[in-house]
Amino acid sequence: MTGAANLRIEMPWLLRNNAGLAGVLVLIALVCLVGAAASDRFLSFNNFLNVFEQTTDLALVSIGQTLTILAGGIDLSVGSLISLTSCLTSGLINNNPDRVVVVVIAVLVLGTAVGCVNASLVVALRVHPLIVTLGMGAVLQGVTLLYALGPVGRVPRGFNFLAYGRVYGLPLGATLAVLLCILIALLLRYLPLGRQVYALGDDANSARLVGLRRTRILMLVYGTSGFCCAATGLYLAARFGVGQPYTGVNYTLASITPVVLGGTLLSGGKGGVVGTLFGAFLIALLNNLLNFMDVSKHYQLVAQAVIIILAVSVYVERRRTM
Amino acid sequence: MSDRLTTPAELDQPIAPAWSTRALLDRFGMLLILPLLLAAGGIVSPAFISADNLSNLLLQFAPLAIVAMGQALVMIVRGLDLSVASMMATAAVIATGFSGSDRDVATIFAVALAVAVMIGLLNGFLVTKRQVSPFLATLATMILLQGFRFAYTQGAPSGNVPPLLRVFGAGKFHGIPYNVLVLVALAIILAIVLHRSTFGRRIFIVGGNPVTGRLFGIQSDLIIIACYLISACLAAVGGLILSGYVGLVDNWVGQGYELDSIVACVVGQVSLQGGRGSILGALTGAAIIVIIANEVLLLGVPIQVQLIIKGAVIVIAAALYARKDN
Repeated sequence: MTGAANLRIEMPWLLRNNAGLAGVLVLIALVCLVGAAASDRFLSFNNFLNVFEQTTDLALVSIGQTLTILAGGIDLSVGSLISLTSCLTSGLINNNPDRVVVVVIAVLVLGTAVGCVNASLVVALRVHPLIVTLGMGAVLQGVTLLYALGPVGRVPRGFNFLAYGRVYGLPLGATLAVLLCILIALLLRYLPLGRQVYALGDDANSARLVGLRRTRILMLVYGTSGFCCAATGLYLAARFGVGQPYTGVNYTLASITPVVLGGTLLSGGKGGVVGTLFGAFLIALLNNLLNFMDVSKHYQLVAQAVIIILAVSVYVERRRTM
Repeated sequence: MSDRLTTPAELDQPIAPAWSTRALLDRFGMLLILPLLLAAGGIVSPAFISADNLSNLLLQFAPLAIVAMGQALVMIVRGLDLSVASMMATAAVIATGFSGSDRDVATIFAVALAVAVMIGLLNGFLVTKRQVSPFLATLATMILLQGFRFAYTQGAPSGNVPPLLRVFGAGKFHGIPYNVLVLVALAIILAIVLHRSTFGRRIFIVGGNPVTGRLFGIQSDLIIIACYLISACLAAVGGLILSGYVGLVDNWVGQGYELDSIVACVVGQVSLQGGRGSILGALTGAAIIVIIANEVLLLGVPIQVQLIIKGAVIVIAAALYARKDN
């Protein structure tokens, strides 16, 4: 504990605010060490760019998830919303380049709107966000399947630039995800509403007593989460060239892992999006390492679970069940 | 901790008189929904209340109900168990891991329960000793089991379910499925344990207020671990029964049961905040879900609309009970 206290004084605000960030960086360093021993190509610049590119989808969705968790909630509708938005993207564009701009904007707006509906339901019905977003997830999956039972539509040729394009050598999608993350980190730190997210997540009762507007804060976090899901849906449509009704299924629970690895407490009020970004990178890096070591994909799941268990058992600072 | 330390508060009667109409309605009122749902189903499609369909309904009801009872225990101690579906699938894979003849059934049960005990202990350990949030701890064990399962089957499970297990999963005795008999036995035992034993009362005290529990000298960690243990074991039994019902092995037996069992509990008035709930509630919730799913199916409503209805039911049920919890 004294060690941690010393660290706090010396580290820049990014780390000071976020002790978990140090943990995830240590884990990344460890994976790099093992990787360097396993293969000389692991530490190459190109491999890092690859891993960076593979982080995009998980990073995007878990950045939004971080906000809902920081505010003391959770969003279990992300998977279905990703499926819906990716289907709508390719289905509505349907290989017509003229529609790209309109559809992209519409999809982003739709995602944000769904998030706001989540927030309104949480406030209006006074039901735990876990249940509200779970229900919303089922509804959205149903809507997605009503729209398309199988792969639907196509995106025009140039659209996959979002997923595979490189700008000045950097993968476009991943770079946008990083920029989004930095933007949100700054908003959380410098915008009053951003700091109120932490206040609400830390102690909802005190937040109410000092007069914070819960509705507004929840609209912000669930709206952002919805926006991030829509962005992930766009990215996946670009990557696969087509929207699929089950493409997002695994992201619901997967989006929580990077958040936790990045040092955000599941009980809310502590953590940040930068840690989440590194958490997503750590998972992609770990999978990459296991690929290098020829470990079967099945054991990659085991490794991921072990890392989660290790990480959460080390970080947890106080008892509060959700 | 000896039983001598049992305090008067622990033995206290519920605040309302036990047999007033109000208390009875409170406790058993939701049972009234069942005949209403059945009648509605019968009116809309007469095939629904045929003996055959009702018997099939029971067949589908048992596995979910078994898992939901374990989920209820965990939810009462302020937890959640997301690993139940993964545990079910693991038990199903274990069921086909042997020769596929009846003499292995005992071994199958032993191995599946041994795995369940380990998983339950791990969940309980993470939640109590390492203070990991239940959501996360059970999510991690869910992924862990999934990984081991896939590694073991190489993604393509093979083998046969022993005939005896199939009888348990799909067989009927004069129209009453065997799996319902198993369910009834388990339900009676659990109801007595939860509502009539010292251990059961301690579960409610720990769930209602962990600090009070500690002040009473209850070892709340042990109680919580026991609940996760029971939940994992019930999931294993549910998985074996379901594998007998499905008849062939698959890495995803029981998929969706983690959420369905939580929904069943919420619909059955088991509080997500802990401290409230009953075995009867979990059973009623599971029955409501199975009946609605079956009715919707008979009406020829497409699966998409079923999902939408399910989502709406979850939220509405929770909203109806939310006021009570507060």
